[in-house]
Amino acid sequence: MASKNNVILRIAGAAGDGIQSTGELLGKTCSRMGLHVLAYNSFQSAIRGGHVWLQMAIGKEKQIDHGEGVEVLLLFNKTSPPVHVPDMKPGGVVFYNAGTIKKDEIESLRSDVNYYGLDFKSMVDAAGLTAVNSVMINVMLAGALDQILNLDPEVTLGFIKHKFLKKGEGVVELNHKIFNLGYEWTKANVKPLGLELKGDNKAKLFMSGNEAIGMGLVAGGLKFYAAYPMSPATSILHYVSTLAQSDKLIIKQVEDELAAINYAIGAGHAGARAAVGTAGGGFCLMVEALGFAGMLEAPVVAVLVQRGGPSTGVPTKQEQADINLAMSGNGEFPKFILAPKDLEDCFYQSARALNIAEKYQVPVILISDFFLSEHFETVDDLDFSKITIERGKFTTEWNSSEKYKRYAYSEDGISPRVRPGTPGAMYVGVSDEHNEYGHLMSDVEAGLPHAREARIKMHAKRMHKVQTMIEAGDAKPPVLEGDVNADTTFVTWGSTYAYVKSAIRMLTGEGIKVNHINFTDIYPMPREKTLAVLKKCKRLISVEANMCNSLCRQILAETAFEIIEHINRWDGEPFTGEYIVKEFKKLGSKKKQLVSV
Amino acid sequence: MTMNVLDRKARPAIDPKDFKGDVHPDWCPGCGDFGVLSCLQRAFAELGIPQHEIAVIAGIGCSSNLPGFINTYGMHTLHGRSLPNAQGFKLVHHDMTVVGVGGDGDGYGIGVGHLIHALRRNMDMTYIVMNNSIYGLTTGQTSPTSGFGMKTKSTPFGNPEAPLNPITLALGSGASFVARASSGNPKQTVEIYKKAIMHKGFALVDTFSPCVTFNKVNTNQFYKEGIYDMNAEGHDSSNLEAAFAIAMKDTYGTGRIATGIFYQCERSCYEETEKDTLSTPVVDHKLGISTKRAEELKERFR
Repeated sequence: MASKNNVILRIAGAAGDGIQSTGELLGKTCSRMGLHVLAYNSFQSAIRGGHVWLQMAIGKEKQIDHGEGVEVLLLFNKTSPPVHVPDMKPGGVVFYNAGTIKKDEIESLRSDVNYYGLDFKSMVDAAGLTAVNSVMINVMLAGALDQILNLDPEVTLGFIKHKFLKKGEGVVELNHKIFNLGYEWTKANVKPLGLELKGDNKAKLFMSGNEAIGMGLVAGGLKFYAAYPMSPATSILHYVSTLAQSDKLIIKQVEDELAAINYAIGAGHAGARAAVGTAGGGFCLMVEALGFAGMLEAPVVAVLVQRGGPSTGVPTKQEQADINLAMSGNGEFPKFILAPKDLEDCFYQSARALNIAEKYQVPVILISDFFLSEHFETVDDLDFSKITIERGKFTTEWNSSEKYKRYAYSEDGISPRVRPGTPGAMYVGVSDEHNEYGHLMSDVEAGLPHAREARIKMHAKRMHKVQTMIEAGDAKPPVLEGDVNADTTFVTWGSTYAYVKSAIRMLTGEGIKVNHINFTDIYPMPREKTLAVLKKCKRLISVEANMCNSLCRQILAETAFEIIEHINRWDGEPFTGEYIVKEFKKLGSKKKQLVSV
Repeated sequence: MTMNVLDRKARPAIDPKDFKGDVHPDWCPGCGDFGVLSCLQRAFAELGIPQHEIAVIAGIGCSSNLPGFINTYGMHTLHGRSLPNAQGFKLVHHDMTVVGVGGDGDGYGIGVGHLIHALRRNMDMTYIVMNNSIYGLTTGQTSPTSGFGMKTKSTPFGNPEAPLNPITLALGSGASFVARASSGNPKQTVEIYKKAIMHKGFALVDTFSPCVTFNKVNTNQFYKEGIYDMNAEGHDSSNLEAAFAIAMKDTYGTGRIATGIFYQCERSCYEETEKDTLSTPVVDHKLGISTKRAEELKERFR
């Protein structure tokens, strides 16, 4: 491990041990030094006592894979050693809490790694520190890490000061002393790893996918957000709630997901930019209302963060199996389904979602996944200047003496939308089938010739929006990246994008020619342009965190193109580059042929 | 838009005819909902609230077709979801007068969860439940307010469930205004609706509105003989305990049924907790954020 410029590190212990604090100290130190970090939390749906770990990839370049083969390991409790020591790379370094983990037990696990027990209590006692809480070991470990990773301790000390200053100078000083104990002890006792982690000194943003989604929504003009808490979507609610007063947003936690989506539709119909966020189970409750938004022609954005399913499934684990759910609803109605591929994309697609929801007067589903939403990553910058507010045919003026037709037939399927409250344009937005004025055609008139004609024309008007989305270029084809002469092309969506990129780097290093197609716009899928991209490829292999290849089924349904080779993972852990490489090799070098039966 | 919940003024009356919608109601002849519609139109007219400053937001059912028959803004939503839509609408457009309407199935059956929270949340809006103790649009099944033993298409041997008491439910959920009107008694109904609309907070008005086609028990005659005006008999609507006592006596058929205002109190309405954000209606806020603010948002993550 000489002169490496990246490292994989893992911190493990019980929930409540302070793993997040250690991760935050380290993450902030690195991002402020201008280093890149990718941090993946493996946690359970328990507040205390569950076994959790945080894995971080740190380096000079953008990190796209939390990787396998841990090089530096920090262990807090006695459950940790047998779980994590086997995952280490030979020659790696293990720091452990000598107060909870026995030296002979951990060292008996394997002999090709180096163990260092930190006896927190005797170290602070020897230093004569008082009023020390046992969770402060995370500050000592941060000191140890700064030393072994060759990071700038001044940056960490600065962050500690910033974080603890409101608790008083004394607390800051105590934490600084504990940090130095870890730093100095490591300097004296631990063999250096020879790492060259030099950042560009431009502080990066260090944030989660859900925070990027929240920020994208706010940048895109969000005024109303409603939710019922559900992992892994809840941190969007947490983030936007912090901005409620400063940015004059209405943020409502409501009684259930039925209420959340209907609140948002009411707000969207009234003329505010509105969104909701939930996971698969909560989204199930919203499905009826999304069709309602389609019929009402109300703009609304629904963020669907996937987790292990079905039912309540595995709340805090990775899965990508909800495309069918996002597509669902009774009857036919236009909509968008967008799947951001990384943190930056979470930001830009969220803002875009609000625009196209208003432009087309439709529901937009932003589909994320557990890993994308809940992992932390450094981002160089988010460019707010790229975000514009486009409201389509929305207006607050009505000067005609004619009766306003909310659902006027139009060439593109989109009707002028006058904001409720405007003098002279009173109308009712309706859930039943209707004519151009919004008069119901569903009850006593249903089946009569004029009502049948209205049904044909109005339904076609709404569905015509899908064609407009494609023709106007608002529904985008997938993007091919990499070597155009590749023998094999991976197909991805969502967070799997980055892991496939990581796998491609590894395979390219071995001389194997592979490239990559990613789908951000899941629906509508422009058929001709999509086929043009797919047909360029010699061999296609999908990579999805599910068992039944939901993206491939969607592609098949929309284009009649069948992808028959797949790499899947549904154990709840996100992919890694290594995992994909291994599975790719299992498929063999020969292209599988489609056999008709 | 001058009528703000936090600053309400009396305005000159409007002709009730101006509230007539384009479409004639498709209710059965003799349906109680005609009376509710006419009383609501008169209430708006007498309060002088211009049509474009009103949103009438319904669920699904016979009575929920009402927004189509009144000349205001409106929404015809999903079964049971009038209140979430109405509250979402109200929060971003709080300068408008928002009235939720629907039937007993909509409000006390499929949507009752939303009702309880709307009552405790206390947004400044009115909710009129046209209560006929039957599912009419689906051709006559039992409803949450059907009497015990009542024979309907889904309970041919008699309703095995006790009816829900919407008044005690509302009083127990922290309501700031609870009233009952009867479609057959328009004079009192118009007055109650006006008070409900002017009330600062969430006002529930349970309104008897007989289904002449499917409910042969709770008929026009039944209500004509059964109801009395509790306020005229001296009930003090600021007295919560007395309101509970009267509501508890409601037996839906064997005794006298109280109409009037059970309870009204002044308490902070939800919008007052968002005073700063709502100093301008949210729909009028400028969208997007400044370059300076963008930097501040990003700085938190550095």
